[in-house]
Amino acid sequence: MTAGSTGKPLSLRGLAKHYATADGRVIEALLPVDLDIAPGEFLVVVGPSGCGKSTMLNILAGLTPPSAGEARVADVPIKGPDIDRGMVFQDYALFPWLDVIGNVEFGLERKGLPRRQRREVAMRYLEMVGLADFAEKRPRELSGGMKQRVAIARTFATEPSIIFMDEPFGALDALTRSYLQHQLLRIWQEHRKTVVFITHSVVEAIYLADRIVLMTARPGRIKTVLKVDIAHPRDPTSDEFRAIERRVYADLDEELAKSFRMEGRDSGG
Amino acid sequence: MTASAPAGKRRRGWAARLGGRAAKLLPYLYAAVGVIAVWWAVVLIAKPHMSLLPSPLSTAQTFVQLMASGELPRDAAYSVGRVLAAWSLAAIVAVPLGFAMGRWQRLERVLDPVVELFRPISPLAWIPLAILWFGIDEGGKIFVIFIGTFFPILLNTIAGAKNIDPVLIRAGRILGCKDDASLFRKVVLPASLPQVIVGLRISFGTGWAAIIAAELVAARSGLGYLISNGMEVLRSDFVLVGMVTIGVLGVLFDAVFRWVDARYNWIGE
Repeated sequence: MTAGSTGKPLSLRGLAKHYATADGRVIEALLPVDLDIAPGEFLVVVGPSGCGKSTMLNILAGLTPPSAGEARVADVPIKGPDIDRGMVFQDYALFPWLDVIGNVEFGLERKGLPRRQRREVAMRYLEMVGLADFAEKRPRELSGGMKQRVAIARTFATEPSIIFMDEPFGALDALTRSYLQHQLLRIWQEHRKTVVFITHSVVEAIYLADRIVLMTARPGRIKTVLKVDIAHPRDPTSDEFRAIERRVYADLDEELAKSFRMEGRDSGG
Repeated sequence: MTASAPAGKRRRGWAARLGGRAAKLLPYLYAAVGVIAVWWAVVLIAKPHMSLLPSPLSTAQTFVQLMASGELPRDAAYSVGRVLAAWSLAAIVAVPLGFAMGRWQRLERVLDPVVELFRPISPLAWIPLAILWFGIDEGGKIFVIFIGTFFPILLNTIAGAKNIDPVLIRAGRILGCKDDASLFRKVVLPASLPQVIVGLRISFGTGWAAIIAAELVAARSGLGYLISNGMEVLRSDFVLVGMVTIGVLGVLFDAVFRWVDARYNWIGE
């Protein structure tokens, strides 16, 4: 299997987003963020709902412009979506009118690959996620876990240098989830793309990440960045795993308490 | 996008589909037999005058006569031709307009009140104006059918274009649809196609119903004319032949649309 382009570095400088509501109020979705992500790094962003992590990801993907600051991929500013930056969505976002292989071929066709070649490439990536036998099925015939594997194959098939994953396993049951985490790590280790992965799950974050970015809620900003120096495959029951988990939860509890207080206030007003 | 399936497999599928279609026709056969039986019973028991209600047999004889003389095929062709022309014109205008209104909120906000104002007006209410403006030539009837078919197509296309899951749009942009044109072709169009087909199908039905009314009032050809002329010369067998032909053709057109729908509707059963 060709490795394609390996990961590129990503740098965020003062990246911020605010929205104006209909009545003229300004909502700070994301306070200025400075962050450097190394080529081939697996970065996981953890935080409570409303911490702006999805906003940040959408800006990095080029789907939303930032209100201030800039993000660069290998020194090139991000202006809009680019097929060199892939994205895996929580709700899979498979095209229901295409069969499985048609979905995987979608980006390849946009890249201008001739028909026969894109079929070959798509087949290879379906094999990678173990779904070669399902190439002709429609997305609606697949389980949630299988759909997300198709989405992962679709994203890796275009050989992007950076892959964004927005709570990709959030809607799956625990068993499927741990299976897919394992698969994703294997694929990532093989391809060495830069990955920015969003999750609610602390265990998932520690299991996957080179580095964890902990974000605070309302307004969203980075609270802590911590390195996870445990060799793969990681054992969630090991002492070092548990130690990091305790640290993350300690930071997170503070934030959750804060955001619950705010929610109470919101609903009160 | 279909892969080359083995020929044997394809042929079996064909035979099975033919058998399935024959089974679907059976209820229509029962219905026809039932209607004819009741009709005949009424004729035998009540013995109405020929000019009021002819027997099924003499109606069938008239049918054969009108077929042989070429009158019935000619009238049917006129009616079908008018509906096809007006419906195609309506589709050419309503489908692009529907997409524009479905995707651009600003345009929808401006045009929606206009649509809502004209929509409840039955196409039949336009017949007097159509006669004043276009006389009883083809123009008037095509105008009436255009009005009748325009709104179902427009409203369904708007609904289809509007209700596209936004995540599919984002996925399309991420996967290399760089401009609105490619996004439209690869995502918006296929995503809304089932709903557009629904609109085309419904509108053909309303158009088919309206053409008869338009021809009843102002025409010298068409199935509506056959019926109204039959009334004037006290030939209820002409009327009945016209009515049966309208019903049978209507069912046939609907079957064509069902077939198209089954082919292009990715929603499935």
